[in-house]
Amino acid sequence: MRAAINQKLIEMGERERLKELLRAKLIECGWRDQLKALCKEVIKEKGIENVTVEDLVAGVTPKGRALVPDSVKKELLQRIRAFLSQHST
Amino acid sequence: MLALNTLKLDQWKRLCPRLTCRLSPFTRSGGACSVVSSGNSRRARCEAEDGVSTQIAGLEAKSCICHLCGAHLNRLHSCLHCVFFGCFSKKHIHEHAKSKRHNLAIDLLYGGIYCFVCQDYIYDKDMEQIAKEEQRKAWKLQGIGEKYSMWEPTKRELELLRHNPKRRKITANCTIGLRGLINLGNTCFMNCIVQALTHTPLLRDFFLSDRHKCEMQSNSCLVCEMSQLFQEFYSGHRSPHIPFRLLHLVWTHARHLAGYEQQDAHEFLIAALDVLHRHCKDDNGKKANNPNHCSCIIDQIFTGGLQSDVTCQVCHGVSTTIDPFWDISLDLPGSSTPFWPLSPGSDGSVVNGDGHPSGATTLTDCLRRFTRPEHLGSSAKIKCSGCHSYQESTKQLTMKRLPIVACFHLKRFEHSAKLRRKITTYVSFPLELDMTPFMASSKESRMNGQYLQPVDSLNNDNKYSLFAVVNHQGTLESGHYTTFIRQHKDQWFKCDDAIITKASIKDVLDSEGYLLFYHKQFLEYE
Repeated sequence: MRAAINQKLIEMGERERLKELLRAKLIECGWRDQLKALCKEVIKEKGIENVTVEDLVAGVTPKGRALVPDSVKKELLQRIRAFLSQHST
Repeated sequence: MLALNTLKLDQWKRLCPRLTCRLSPFTRSGGACSVVSSGNSRRARCEAEDGVSTQIAGLEAKSCICHLCGAHLNRLHSCLHCVFFGCFSKKHIHEHAKSKRHNLAIDLLYGGIYCFVCQDYIYDKDMEQIAKEEQRKAWKLQGIGEKYSMWEPTKRELELLRHNPKRRKITANCTIGLRGLINLGNTCFMNCIVQALTHTPLLRDFFLSDRHKCEMQSNSCLVCEMSQLFQEFYSGHRSPHIPFRLLHLVWTHARHLAGYEQQDAHEFLIAALDVLHRHCKDDNGKKANNPNHCSCIIDQIFTGGLQSDVTCQVCHGVSTTIDPFWDISLDLPGSSTPFWPLSPGSDGSVVNGDGHPSGATTLTDCLRRFTRPEHLGSSAKIKCSGCHSYQESTKQLTMKRLPIVACFHLKRFEHSAKLRRKITTYVSFPLELDMTPFMASSKESRMNGQYLQPVDSLNNDNKYSLFAVVNHQGTLESGHYTTFIRQHKDQWFKCDDAIITKASIKDVLDSEGYLLFYHKQFLEYE
């Protein structure tokens, strides 16, 4: 069911719009800056010569997910629901 | 069939600096390969249909999935040696790499190239160039247009940075850019405007990055003096600055402001912008004298377009003109011109625009009044080109094009034939302002001055933030100007000639307000 929803989102170009909305909201609320700070910590820990992208992903993802404000999640969900109800087959 | 993208084969061999990994030669002919396009997952480029985004979207929806598990998320990667999509998080692409010995894959979301031997992403200048280009094309196709890309220093800039190791760090609470100005004898009308201008972000950036190349022979270029002023303000010196050179240049170029009497700050603002605009060069190297074709920094930041529509009441033909403006002068209630058009048979009492009992007048009320259709009356008939005769008409002003910095001038000083006085009516103004209801494009959505469309949270074009407020205390004969400026978000300071003090948002919003400076919240590339 997830795959079908996703397919519809991509086909109608809505996924790209949602991504843009999410991007703007996350920058606005300062989430991106918080993540930047988290990444800097990981780099300091591992040393800039040795750190890999995997280190960053592993080190930052759980905290990053938790830091997303509920208001942003709510808004995105509302958008998706509205879209699906408009375009249900 | 998927089209082949030309990759630089010999580059692949030098791609992994850490280990000497032998890459199997990437076959140029035959075989298909997925096209690089970082930043979005619209990868498949159909050779048959050119540039049709729905075709591509459909293809992407069905084919951009992991070949092993069908997932579309989980950091999908594409093998660079054959046609295989695999997710990274579930290690499906890793399995493929190991079993087929295909050691290079590309991240379909960001275009990064992963080497399974080095076990990390690797960076190749040429690939990044290609990725950037493809990304730009993809955004254009989707109608997103240009996006902001971070500044990267050139070789020369890196050199300069190395040779000049001193750095100034801007923290959340720093007071850089704050500096008092000595009053040289009733010059607070000039000081208050200088404070507003030196805290206009785009103007500050222009001058601090040394963008003014002076062509004037004499020493009397006001733009050069402005540049010096910015250097003084951002030098970190805390003692008040003495702007005697600026004052002298203003007297030279704007004679009507010379003398030690108190002048009007708004007049000074317009005069200063005018002189700066004249002394600037535009991009074509010509003197910036034509207000319609200028691209000097002053015009780029401050100039907007005001649309005037005159509608003939007989044939309903509309005659439209657009004039440039640097500021919007707004009438206030309590002046000799009625604030709201009186309804027929009323007793002449002034009512708030939307019919509510009058509370405080707001900036929005003033803007609504400014942009309302106005009946020009039988004594002011306009020649209608449709009717070929003089007819009664209505006139309406709306914003055609908004400037990056919008300056609102509340007309507090009345100089009519009968009286000269200051209107001290409190006008409340917001920290954030949406100019959408006053745009020319919003005219149809308005009825009786009320904007009917719901606010579109995605359209950020018309949203503004307050960053400076000039206030006048006192009477018409003797008064004093001060400025509130925004140093950081939610941090305001009061500039009273040489004295700078911290101010609260409440102080700012409770003040009377004479000149209000708003800055566009979101800047787009053309």
